Order: sequence, then C-alpha cells, then structure tokens
Amino acid sequence: MKIGIRLALVTALAAAAIWFWTDHFPSPQEIIRAQLNQMARYASFNSTQSQLAALAAAEKLSGFVDTNVQVVLEFPGHEVRTINGREELRQDIVAARLSLDKLKVDFPDINVAVAPDENSAVADLTMRAETDGDKDGVAEELKFTFEKIDGQWLVTRIETVQVLT
Amino acid sequence: MPLKTLQPAHSIQTPANNSTHSWLRIILIGRNLKRTLLRAGMWAAVCFVIFRVALVRVEVIGISMLPTCPEYSRYWVNRSAYLWHEPQRGDIVAIRLAGIHEMLLKRIIGLPGETVAFSNGRVLINGDVLNEPYEKYPCNWDQPPILLTNGEYYVCGDNRTMPAADHEHGICQRYRIVGKLLK
Repeated sequence: MKIGIRLALVTALAAAAIWFWTDHFPSPQEIIRAQLNQMARYASFNSTQSQLAALAAAEKLSGFVDTNVQVVLEFPGHEVRTINGREELRQDIVAARLSLDKLKVDFPDINVAVAPDENSAVADLTMRAETDGDKDGVAEELKFTFEKIDGQWLVTRIETVQVLT
Repeated sequence: MPLKTLQPAHSIQTPANNSTHSWLRIILIGRNLKRTLLRAGMWAAVCFVIFRVALVRVEVIGISMLPTCPEYSRYWVNRSAYLWHEPQRGDIVAIRLAGIHEMLLKRIIGLPGETVAFSNGRVLINGDVLNEPYEKYPCNWDQPPILLTNGEYYVCGDNRTMPAADHEHGICQRYRIVGKLLK
C-alpha cells in the first residue's frame, strides 16, 4: 500500500510539474495555436455586437498580422482575392462586419510546423465559416506563414490551399 | 460451552435476500472483479480502436454526391480500408483538409497512370468511355485529358448538373484519402 501511495504521489507531482511547465513556458507551436484560436474569436461576430466592439475586434485582429501581410484567397467558383498590407486587411474586416449580420469562424484542425531556427513557422489549418444566411457554412484549408518579429509571432502571409488541383 | 455471538436483527440475511444480493453483484461486477475489470478494459480498447481509429462518422453537407449520398445523411468512413490495397475506381472516399474534422466526399474515377477527360459529360479514361451506373443526372462537361502521375487520383462528385467550375473536382493526392465510405 505504501508503494501505491508513493507511486500516486509521484505521478501527481509529475503531472503538476508538466502542467506548470507547459502553462508557463509554452512551446512556439502552442503559442501559435493559441494565437490562431484568438484570431478566430476576434473574426467572429453576431448581430448583437455593437459597431464599436466590431471596430475594436478588427483592430485586435489586425494586430496579429505584420504590416506587410499578404492575403491570397482563392475559393472555388470565385475570383482570386489579394489583400496587401495590414491596413487593407483591417478595412476589409470592417467592410465584412458591415455587410454581414453574423459570422462564426473556427479552426477545427491546426498543424503547426516551426522552422529549426524558431524564427518562422507555417500553420496549415482548416477554416470553418458560417454566415447568417448560410447555416452549412464553408470549409477551406488555409496556410498561415508566421515570422517572429520583436519577440512576437506575426502573420506575414495567408493563402488558400487547393485540396483538389 | 461455546460462546454464542449475537447479531443485530437488521444484519441477519434471509436466503432470499442473500440470493438477490449475489445476483445483483454478479450482474454489476461479475463473479470475479479482476476479470470483469480486465474484460471491460479490453472492450474499451476495442471500442476505441473501432470508433476512434478505424471508423469516422461523417455527415454529408452539400449536394455534390447526389443521388448516392443525400444531404444531411450520415455514414461511417472506414479508415483501414486502404491498409492492404490501394483505392479503387468507383470507391467513394473521404478526403481530408488540414485534418479530419472537415472532409470532402468524392468518388474516384481516375487512377494513377491514367488520363482523365470529359467529353460532352462522359468521362474518358485513356480515351475510353467510363461506365458510370451511379451517374443519374445529365451533364455536359468538357475537359481536355489530364495525366495522373504516381499517387494521384481523379475524384469527382456524382452530381454533375452544375457547371464544372462550380463543382469541386480534380486531382487528389493519395495522402489526403482518409478512407472509404461504408454504404
């Protein structure tokens, strides 16, 4: 019994140590993953959200990207849309907020690959988006390129990935 | 003279009471607790492998696989289908995006090494018309031949009533094929 108790105590201590370490010293993968989930939250809105809150969310969202960010979106049946720079992206986010009543964005699958020098990373993810008029929503694969600038992971490029070529 | 011990009245068990208790015990934890726990653990492992690893539950969203797979119908995808052999023509497969939470459901019409073309809605494999009994709706697509290299499959939905540009179809890499739809 004594051995059992000791084993349980050691396991609990090890679990607590792992939790403490991962919580206080997250890996770049975990930081980027958390950042992407935050971006999805800020990109989502509903009809009850005030204009001011929407503007604040757009501001926060554009804070995750580099000033020279490039966004290249190519959805089936639509023309390629390219956005250059943080300001243009911010304007597009605000315009989307004004033209839609509701948008729900989430990233159900995120794969992050960090470069060996830990200064750049690529996140391959599935984006699910639902608007007020389309309850089924759309799902697309996106590739986010990150660079570590002044200690912060910023998005430098977002592009759609063609699953079927 | 032997010492006689006395028990409180409520703890005295009648034969009927004892029998019920033992049956309940057998139903709940079995005759041997260790064996029951072992068996439960094995069943849990088997269920985990079947329902988390080997099979994936999917719900069809969209009309691209009509009439074979109606919208909002639910199916299982067998992830172990291609462990021993490669995907075959006519298989309905789940194609992953970045993961398996969202997938495309398409039918394989072209295999590696073949050329695939559309001529007035008919699929041509290496120049020969492909017999497609599942294709129920008229189609008028035209597309020049595409050569599939190693690890490339040509996938398409069964519902080709819309213009080709509005229907997601094309070359799918082998690594994206998650499994075969069970119907």
